Order: sequence, then structure tokens, then C-alpha cells
Amino acid sequence: MRIVEARKVEDCFDGGAVYAYRFDNVWTERDIRALATLGKLEYYPEFPRPLFRLLGEGGWQVKGILGEDECKVVLPRTGRESIRQRFEQQHSDPS
Amino acid sequence: MEEPGIRHSVYLNNAATSWPRAPGVAEATSAWLAAPPRDPARNAVTAPDDPASECRRLIAGLLGDVDRRRIALTHGATDSLNLAILGVSLGQGSRVVTTCMEHNSVLRPLARIARLAGVHVSVVGASQDGVVDADDFAQALRPSADLVVVNHASNVTGAVQDVGLLFALAHDVGALTLLDASQSAGSVPVMPSAMGADMVALNGHKGLHGPPGVGALYVREGLDLDQWVVGGTGSRSSLRLHPAEMPMRLEAGTPNGAGLAGWVAALRWHARAGREGVQRKAALTAHLRRALHDMPAVRVYGDLTSDDRVGIVSLGLRGVPAEDFGYALEAGFRIICRAGLHCAPLAHQAIGSAPDGTVRLSLSAFTCPEDVDAAINAVQRLSARMAA
Repeated sequence: MRIVEARKVEDCFDGGAVYAYRFDNVWTERDIRALATLGKLEYYPEFPRPLFRLLGEGGWQVKGILGEDECKVVLPRTGRESIRQRFEQQHSDPS
Repeated sequence: MEEPGIRHSVYLNNAATSWPRAPGVAEATSAWLAAPPRDPARNAVTAPDDPASECRRLIAGLLGDVDRRRIALTHGATDSLNLAILGVSLGQGSRVVTTCMEHNSVLRPLARIARLAGVHVSVVGASQDGVVDADDFAQALRPSADLVVVNHASNVTGAVQDVGLLFALAHDVGALTLLDASQSAGSVPVMPSAMGADMVALNGHKGLHGPPGVGALYVREGLDLDQWVVGGTGSRSSLRLHPAEMPMRLEAGTPNGAGLAGWVAALRWHARAGREGVQRKAALTAHLRRALHDMPAVRVYGDLTSDDRVGIVSLGLRGVPAEDFGYALEAGFRIICRAGLHCAPLAHQAIGSAPDGTVRLSLSAFTCPEDVDAAINAVQRLSARMAA
């Protein structure tokens, strides 16, 4: 699963940063479960559109939906760049 | 991947921009754009078939048959509020009194004149229900005030202020009064003369179900605001200075004819069927508020005093940040809502939802019972799975 597009999106608050990523494939259950290595994973497969949320150390988050090719990454003010790079690195491998 | 039978998008973000538009709005806008522009009397007050003129007539009726010449057409309520706040001659030592329930379209122009012109701005607090206390307000007006700005209906809780009382107190000390009717116009009667409002700012795209990019500023007879935007008016071009008469005084440049044509259709619909629409909205809002109130992990803000006619319900889910709650509603259940501060940061300190804000579900005259039930069901399921 590889990132094909990244853009910064505005939100309501000053200080954080939200990035929207689009991937070359849709999120599968396996991809979602693999996120657990990055933090605490919450996954709600029973919702009409199965939702996942990863809560990383320091308050960063990944939010997305099973079967869609996008996700949102919310980054805190501190350590923003290193977290972003780590996430992007993990999703730069075509395998 | 999607649960079979799930309805596609339930739109409950009408306090931002209402959807669907009133019947005829899209057609009128499109027809205006498709035809050669006819602009025989730009800024006209009574030209036949001119959308600007017809808009003024309909808005004058909406505001209790005020003089249509006192209505300037603008690009929206933010534009109207800026024209009004900057148009009142305020300078070093002037005092403005406002409330913590205001939107940034009021707070930011006031912060700007405080910084640039040395105007003193007092912000009166509100109860946890979002209601401004008249005694606190009266105290803030002492010893004097030049301008008072009050939000009629809160875009966070739907609470409607007792504007008549607050403006009477303001007039007692000789202050001018500006009403922000962004959320109330179309839902709650807005009668400047009965309320004592010297100026009223409103928009077309919320409770009036028109297109975005149109608004109005009513200015009572005898009050001449300073002009901040001047230029072409399509008439009296030989004058070196921008005309001083209303409504031209506050209007410059080519008007948004397509938007105004759409707004005319919306205002006509509102005059014909708006009352029934508001009643439907109020009944559904009351139903939504009750159902949410009964959920143990859900907190409904401003539940005691909010006016159901405005159609706004703000809520929180125990242990879940508003942003995540809103995302889960929208992404997981296709309930389109708004999460965060709703551009009214001070209101959250009063109602107890700072710094995170709330999830806001807002209805329109066209929201149907199935939409509301879908939202209730979604919050119930989220509450069961996500709440702390």
C-alpha cells in the first residue's frame, strides 16, 4: 500500500496539522491491523462503513475506512515532522 | 464494504449552509446565468424584474415591513457585520459591548478595531446554557457604550437571546445596536423595530435556504454608516464621491445577480411555506434533542433554553474528542455534521465544551424524520462502542 497523494487540510484548531493521504490501493483489514505497530488501534468493523482510528504516542492519529483508498493523519505540534516521515516511510513500500 | 441499506449522506450541517435549497433556487440562479445580463437599474430599489429590487422588497417584508431603501445587499452576514462595525464611527476611547456567544464574524472585526483604533471591547459572559444575563449586560454597559453587538441565535447551541431586553438596556445608555441574525433569519421572527435593533445583519444561505454569497444589512432611518467600500454603482457616475443615499451608500461594484435571483426564489418560498417548514424543523429538533438527552454517555449542550426553531443541537460523547466523534459520524455513518468550535471560540468556555468544542447537528426546513432517526441511531451505536 503506497501513498500516491498527500495534502494538508485545514481544521478548526490552531496548532495541529491534518494531512489527507490517498493510496494506490484500498485499506484492507490486513492493512488496518498492521497499523497496530504504530500505536493503539481502534477498529469498528460493525459500523455501516467500518472505521478505524489509530492513536499514536504523543497524540497523533490516523483515521480511515475499510475499503477506501484514503485516510486522515492528525499530527500534534511537537514532533510533527518526524511522525509524518515515519508514517510516509511505512507507506512508501509498493509491496 | 458498506452495510446494506445504509442511506447515503444525511445532511445535518444546515447551520453552516443549508441544503437542499428552497424549491426554485437552482432554477432561478441557472436561468439568470443563462440569459444575457439585464442590469437596467443597478442598486435599484423598485425596478421591475430586477433581482436586487425584489430581494429588498422581500427582505423588507421579512423584517416586519421596514423601508426597503434601508436594506443594503451584501455578500453575506460577515460582509454585513463588517460594514456595520466598521461603519459606526468608533475611535480611541469608544466602547463596544458584545457577548461571548458571538461568531468570529463579530469577534474578529471587533478585535481588529480594538487593536487598530484603540476601541475598548467588553465581552459579557453567558450561562452554561448559552444565555446572556441581563444584569451582567447592564453592568457592562456602564458608564457608557457606543455600540452593542448581539447574536440573536447561537450557532453553537441554538439559544435565542432576549434581544429586546438587551437592546433596551443599550439604548438607555445611548448605544447603537447591531443584531447578528445569521442563524435566526428565516427561523425566528426578526423585527428590528420591535427589538430595538438599529442594524440587522443576515445571510441567504442558512435559515432562508438560498444560495451562498448573498446577504443583507438593514440600517434604520437616520443612521448613516461610514462607507468602507466605494466604487461603481451603475448610476450617477458623474459624482466624484460615492453616493451617500441608502442603499447605494453601502453597495459598490457589480452585484451578485445570479445569487440574488436564487435568493428571490428562496425568499418567495419562505413567504409562502416557510412557517410550516420551521414548525417541522422545530418538531424534529425537539425529537432529536430528547432522544440524545436520554443517552447516558451523551451530553447535549444548552438543552434547557435552546430554541428548537433554530434547529441546532450541540453534543459531546463521553471520553471521545469532538473531532473524532464528528469524524466517526460522518465517515462511519454518512451523517454530515460539524465538529469543533464552529467559529465561536468563546461560547465553548461558557457552555463547558472548551477547548475541544462540540459536534453540531443542525436541521433545516427540509430535514426529514428518517434523517433524524438515522442520526439518533448512529449516535446510539457510537455511544455503545466508543464512549468511555
